[in-house]
Amino acid sequence: MAARAVAAGRPWRRLIPAALWERPRCLQHEWQPGHPDQPIQMENPYKEPPKKCVLCGINVDYKNVQLLSQFVSPHTGCIYGRHITGLCNKKQKEISKAIKRAHVFGLMPVMFKNPSFLTDPKICNVKYPE
Amino acid sequence: MSDDSTTGVRLYLRLRKLTFSHLTHKPETAAVLKRTVEALMERGAVVRNLENLGERSLPYKISKHNERHRRGGYFLIDLEGPPSIVSTMMDHLGRDIDIIRRGFIKHPVSKTEECSGIIPVNYEDKLIANKK
Repeated sequence: MAARAVAAGRPWRRLIPAALWERPRCLQHEWQPGHPDQPIQMENPYKEPPKKCVLCGINVDYKNVQLLSQFVSPHTGCIYGRHITGLCNKKQKEISKAIKRAHVFGLMPVMFKNPSFLTDPKICNVKYPE
Repeated sequence: MSDDSTTGVRLYLRLRKLTFSHLTHKPETAAVLKRTVEALMERGAVVRNLENLGERSLPYKISKHNERHRRGGYFLIDLEGPPSIVSTMMDHLGRDIDIIRRGFIKHPVSKTEECSGIIPVNYEDKLIANKK
């Protein structure tokens, strides 16, 4: 091949494998200046707002026994864990502190859930093993 | 708020006191409250507010001063005072037969309502960083 090119009188270029060829490298998702047609850089406009837990924005008070009782088991009166209540870190801590405070101050029963609050809407998803 | 006086620096805390007494008759409860508030003021506290949280049956039977109580009236006292008041008042109220339970809490500062929601934690990054 080289001999043919030389014979034809054309300037002979050294054979380079295709992988090493110099090509203009520009990634599609990088911003290339100067083109008015290129997409404008902006934050994802379809981004969903961060998920909020049930108590986001609600003030937790140790006096609010009804609210606190919603996160307590009706049978044993124990405080439900994070995986059951589905609350964020901060609120779970606040709730558990408030419940313990209410216990000490004699506002909330310890070993069971106040019967008048049994018909409250269910927030916690307690799964019973089959 | 802190106040410099000749005896030294006095710090004032904003406190809340929850008491409940077992009496049902009005004049007696009034007498109890009067006693407590007077005792507080003696020790240099400023009583801001006195709330009655109502009278109801206690969540569990409480035995105090050789008596078993089932019903009680709850009272909340908002006060400002020096930190030394807490221990002295707890002692004083412990001796009062009519008061079943007492407690001091710091006045809860109503926090800002901005809750940014649950930010998803990137567990992969945490794991790799710890490994290094």
